[in-house]
Amino acid sequence: MPTEVILPKVDMDMATGKISRWYVEEGAPVKKGDVLFEIETDKAAMEIDAPASGILRDVTGKEGIDIPVGEPVAWIYAEGEAQDRPVAAVAAPATEEPKREDTKPVQAEPMVQAQPAATAAKGEGARATPLARRLAAEAGLSLDAIAGSGPKGRVTRSDVEAIISAPAGRTEAKAPDAPRRPNGQPSASSQALPTDGAVLNHAWLRQGSGRPIVLLHGFGADLNSWRPLLQAGPVDAPVLALDLPGHGGSGRTVPADLDAIAAQVEATLAALDVGPLLLVGHSFGGAVAAAVASRGIADVRALALIAPAGLGPEINGAFLDGFVRARSEASLVPWLKLLVADEQLLSKPFVNATLAQSADSELRGVQAAIADRFFADGTQTFDIRKQLAGLRIPVRVMFGAGDRIIPSSQAFGLPGEIALHVFAATGHMPQLEQREAVLRILLEMARA
Amino acid sequence: MDQPVRELSYAQAIQEAMAIAMEQDERVFLMGEDIGVYGGAFQVTGDLVERFGADRVIDTPISELGGAGVAVGAAVTGLRPIFEFQFSDFATLAMEQIVNQAAKMRYMLGGAVSVPVVMRFPAGSGTGAAAQHSQSLEAWLGHVPGLKVIQPATPHDAKGMLLAAVADPDPVMIFEHKLLYKMKGPVPEGYYTVPIGKAEIRREGRDLTIVATSIMVHKALEAAKTLEAEGIDVEVVDLRTIRPMDTQTVIDSVKKTSRLLCVYEGVKTLGVGAEVSAAIAESDAFDFLDAPIVRLGGAETPIPYNPELEKATVPQVPDILKAARDLVSGRR
Repeated sequence: MPTEVILPKVDMDMATGKISRWYVEEGAPVKKGDVLFEIETDKAAMEIDAPASGILRDVTGKEGIDIPVGEPVAWIYAEGEAQDRPVAAVAAPATEEPKREDTKPVQAEPMVQAQPAATAAKGEGARATPLARRLAAEAGLSLDAIAGSGPKGRVTRSDVEAIISAPAGRTEAKAPDAPRRPNGQPSASSQALPTDGAVLNHAWLRQGSGRPIVLLHGFGADLNSWRPLLQAGPVDAPVLALDLPGHGGSGRTVPADLDAIAAQVEATLAALDVGPLLLVGHSFGGAVAAAVASRGIADVRALALIAPAGLGPEINGAFLDGFVRARSEASLVPWLKLLVADEQLLSKPFVNATLAQSADSELRGVQAAIADRFFADGTQTFDIRKQLAGLRIPVRVMFGAGDRIIPSSQAFGLPGEIALHVFAATGHMPQLEQREAVLRILLEMARA
Repeated sequence: MDQPVRELSYAQAIQEAMAIAMEQDERVFLMGEDIGVYGGAFQVTGDLVERFGADRVIDTPISELGGAGVAVGAAVTGLRPIFEFQFSDFATLAMEQIVNQAAKMRYMLGGAVSVPVVMRFPAGSGTGAAAQHSQSLEAWLGHVPGLKVIQPATPHDAKGMLLAAVADPDPVMIFEHKLLYKMKGPVPEGYYTVPIGKAEIRREGRDLTIVATSIMVHKALEAAKTLEAEGIDVEVVDLRTIRPMDTQTVIDSVKKTSRLLCVYEGVKTLGVGAEVSAAIAESDAFDFLDAPIVRLGGAETPIPYNPELEKATVPQVPDILKAARDLVSGRR
């Protein structure tokens, strides 16, 4: 009996989706777990694996059209299995057979009758542990789209985390009733709605005990960009990631200056009742982190800056321009390559994730305005050296020696008590390129 | 105030607690079958009759119902009796006094009296004493509102919880596993109490929570040691009190580990672990579970006399190892 391939629900509030691209052609052999097609919602692009091995046939889900969630889009036949689906072949005359040329979304009725066993397997709902269910819901993932490794295909925490940690392009789900704990004990992942007010979009990426680690992403990124880092090893501390204004799910505003952003970070930390913390910032987020630390409003006990902005005037202006303007894979990838020393790190899902954001013209428009304000004419118009010199907390700066966005030489000349880590053969993303080492350093700082 | 600490056996720790209680408070006295000159079936009372006299260490006839009735009555009238059952199995003979009288009197009389009686129950299997002398009936009494039911697992707790029980205004039932009596452990000198209703984390871990009671705590700790070498990091929670149960400690632990294994010697069905499981399934820890909750309890059979069969009817270390490995590896 052939295996049904359906359009999975990859986002919580998704009713339909588009197949942006098939990776396997009709009639071609496919192995279970191979990437079969790419699905696109208004928020994300995601690759879907083949649910079985065999020959791909009856591909009815055409690229670029809206298809209801749960609709069959193709079938995988076992080697040597009759090509025609039983009912379609016997009971339904050729006129009823949906043709590949159909432009309308495929209607399900012939398959539903034809495949009672296959549909039942999917239809009864995915088997998942309560924890996996909760993590998937919080990450906006559909359990149907996750292969379970537990008994009888039960989806467990590790299955969900494996998907979350892949640098995939999902945007965070917008949990309508973000749970917040008054005592500052984070729930596993709580998020505020995107807001124009002071509180920034955020997510608890890890639970744990001890000093919380708060992460501020770089220009053009969002809080999801930290997920690969956290996958590099066990994390026992609670980890909170914020979306900077004009980024991710936060309000699409162009802040006046670093202090304005710092104030929003402080308001968010206060709203979440986050106590003594380790503040971590990457690139532009590093400059924000330095500002927050020096203002003394949030209880920052240690500061980690990864390739921070604000240490010198020079920044790769061509990158900023090109990155913000890129709308297609062809125009985006060359710029992304500048981010890392090893291009292998630019996985397909990572590129797709960035591309999904690039498709959001309003988002990139706001970010272009932010770039104009903070990096006018390819120049870093702000300086964090004075703030750093005044700090009396442990500060560490990490740079990739091969950083092509902000030259690592800008890290020199800092006060002697600030520790400097320089990673060889590493670009602007040490948290991606040297994730084990960076995570180790951060956890060491959180525990100190 | 640090008190000097020595190694005492579980039985010695209980005896010391009773002696301290009697020295401190003349209302405290002991009752039970063969606890006087004979020193108790398990030699827990020992020579206390020589130190405190036959007026305060009283041998009772072989009538549990009568003895328990005297103890409850004495408590109501202002004394502080500690009543020893020769075997916990004989609680069945005294149920009227325990369940209908001791547990309810404070409530039925509108709080005009309390029943500060302590009852001690040598419990559990492993001594070849067969079906009528080897049961674990703590869940029976744990089902009765008005009673407090505790299961100390160490000499330290045996002494501290007994002294807490004597100080408690309500009836406290203490289940002492017979195989623990000879186990030694550090016990501080002098008076101290260990709170009733508070579980203790015996070992911290991240991968699996084992909630155990009484002797199963030690089996769980032994299993945890083996599992540690395999990279499985087990947290062992010693429940210590059956009623009122400290579910919060278990909830917090399960939120950390996402997996729960309950190990108890009483019959599995409707037992202490069943209650722990249900409490977790109902709690906010539910959303943290990454595997089914598993219980290891006593077999659904009277305890056999044959020593091999007897062993097979209660959870042993290899059973815990297997359940833990299955849980953590995702086989369950």
